[in-house]
Amino acid sequence: MPDQQLAAERRQRLAAAMGEAGIERVVLYGNAWQGDYLRYGSDFGILEGHGIALIGRDGSAALYLDSASEAERAELEVPELAVHFAADLFRAVGARLEGGNERLAAAPRRFVPRWLVDPARRFKLADATALVDKLLMHKAAGEIAAVRRAAEIADAAYVEFRNAVRPGRRQYEIVADIEAHLRARGCPDNFMIIGSGGKDVLGMTPPSERRIAAGDLVTTELTPAVDGYFAQICRTLVVGQASAAQQRAFAVFVEALQAGIAAVRPGARAADVAKAENDVFRKYGLGEYTTNKWTRVRGHGMGLFADSKPHILEDVETVLAPGMTLIVHPNTYHPDAGYIVLGDAVLVTDRGAEVLCRTPRQLFEVTAS
Amino acid sequence: MRRGLISRSVVELPDAVLEARLVRVRAAMRTDGLDALLVYTNNTRPAGVSWLTGFVPYWSEALLVVPADGAPYLVAALSFRVRSWIECVSRIGDILHHPRIGLRAGQQIVAMRKDAAVGVVDFDGLPAGIAADLREAGPDLRLTDASALFVRLRGAADPAEIALASKAAAIAQAALAQAGGPSLNAMIAAVERHARLLGAEEIYIAAAPDLARDARFIRIEGAPALGRHFALRATVAYKGTWIRLVRTFCEPGVAEQAAARLAEAVAFLPSDRGFMGFENFLVEGCRMAQPLEALMGSRLHTSIAPQPGALVSVQALISIDGTSVPAGAPALIGLDGAAGSLLAGPLFD
Repeated sequence: MPDQQLAAERRQRLAAAMGEAGIERVVLYGNAWQGDYLRYGSDFGILEGHGIALIGRDGSAALYLDSASEAERAELEVPELAVHFAADLFRAVGARLEGGNERLAAAPRRFVPRWLVDPARRFKLADATALVDKLLMHKAAGEIAAVRRAAEIADAAYVEFRNAVRPGRRQYEIVADIEAHLRARGCPDNFMIIGSGGKDVLGMTPPSERRIAAGDLVTTELTPAVDGYFAQICRTLVVGQASAAQQRAFAVFVEALQAGIAAVRPGARAADVAKAENDVFRKYGLGEYTTNKWTRVRGHGMGLFADSKPHILEDVETVLAPGMTLIVHPNTYHPDAGYIVLGDAVLVTDRGAEVLCRTPRQLFEVTAS
Repeated sequence: MRRGLISRSVVELPDAVLEARLVRVRAAMRTDGLDALLVYTNNTRPAGVSWLTGFVPYWSEALLVVPADGAPYLVAALSFRVRSWIECVSRIGDILHHPRIGLRAGQQIVAMRKDAAVGVVDFDGLPAGIAADLREAGPDLRLTDASALFVRLRGAADPAEIALASKAAAIAQAALAQAGGPSLNAMIAAVERHARLLGAEEIYIAAAPDLARDARFIRIEGAPALGRHFALRATVAYKGTWIRLVRTFCEPGVAEQAAARLAEAVAFLPSDRGFMGFENFLVEGCRMAQPLEALMGSRLHTSIAPQPGALVSVQALISIDGTSVPAGAPALIGLDGAAGSLLAGPLFD
């Protein structure tokens, strides 16, 4: 069950931020892909359909869901909220918003269903995305504690991952083992992608039927959640003995990760972290592999979403501050070895980065027989 | 997020099946005077695009553009690096990668015709940012809601969809049969692992840990106490088709009685008269893009009767000798007045 004290603290922070911004009611939208804004205000981890929380500056909180099964679950999981099942969700929420003179806003506004922002409505929703983003990024002690626990679970799950990878097994069979490992420990959610093979592999995806073979590089991002808070670890292993080329390639990623983590400190920008990582690749003539042709981001925030803001990219100016949780991961393609991932969850502290993952930064080897 | 096997089987979902669906869509578009049809997809609402192409996004979002003439193409926010994966797991003419999928799709349509008539499936639910980007790309585009068009086409399941739902039901049944172990979490882990090993694209397991206290289902986090009687619900996706199946652990014979009464009630669908006398019931099915949309049930003020031949998942709380017993299973609504039937019985050895 969700941590009700933590949820109440979040709603207080949200109400205070709304007060400062002069917003009387905020519409928080979520679905199973991007549910962090909804969870921040409602503490409900949505799996199906649309969800909208209406949070008042006065502390009122109502949750609207268009899945009857989800509404039933919400009644038990977040009993402190007024839960409404509404098959016609948009109009039900719209009816609650009409007729007043309140200052209303929505987050994330670009995901809010079009009907609710149609000019024909008799209410207007301002954009509260930046306001909620700030709350999502700057975490309270209870939120940090949840991320720490999730990082511990990620470390343990990677041990299980190494045990699960054997020649002949299919990718989805390995993921089945990891998910079962997490469920057995009462961890309900995880974001995970995987890659296996050689230089033909350009990234990670959901698991396929591809069989693990001797000599494969096997990559994964493991991202379990505790009380809704995700923590990620990225590691690469070799099936059999790593070749000299694979070892040399991996050493670049170790150096880049160290450089990125060293750049994490209060006052630094997300861009500074990305540049520190990418400069290592440039030093070795691999600058091309830091571009969006080969990699998406050089890390990102972690919290109620597995891929939170700020994205660690050289054009992101977000300033880091104590209480932020990130993953720093210089994941990309290396022309001599293939796609390699390496990343650790970190907490921004007054003194710099505290690394939350404990798994050694090594190119693991598992038996090829 | 999707963590299970996402793959395309041309045996289970042949090109001819997808082409036949497209032919029906284009015919309906001609009738409605549409130059293009737009179908949005993300984790939550994948069923429209997967029905037409087999594509299921594990992450992010995309728009499928079906022109009146020519092959459908996908405008995806996923990066170019996963293009080959998308091509492997779906049947799509072309893939355009752009972070602003509404803008890119709008530009493509405008290049075809500046004032094209564009039908958007579930237009009301389209993310506001995408709708705004469509308008930015094509201020003269005539955007209309094409939900009714799509609902008509998707109403009755074709043989391929019924086969996929049957496979999903078989996975759920086999997985729930594995529920065993010293704790609820151990049971859930066993069910989860087995379903994924059988090729489930996704599985959500919910539990009613103590039926004597509450028969409603929750997602388990931590280690809750297990009552003498309890139930597990598996929501399983297999190649874009979703079903729910419930296993209730109670006195011998009670679950069998509940299963029999559920089957009797399902036979009357789309009429709800078979459910009279139940403590509550819920019928869910796919009309557009949400895989399991609430159609009928105790909590619905207005029912949406499923069409003859539709696939649904049914849940009910049935009183047996004073005990509230959850039951649930996927079902197929009968054609031409024929009785509906369960795809899998909620019974386990």
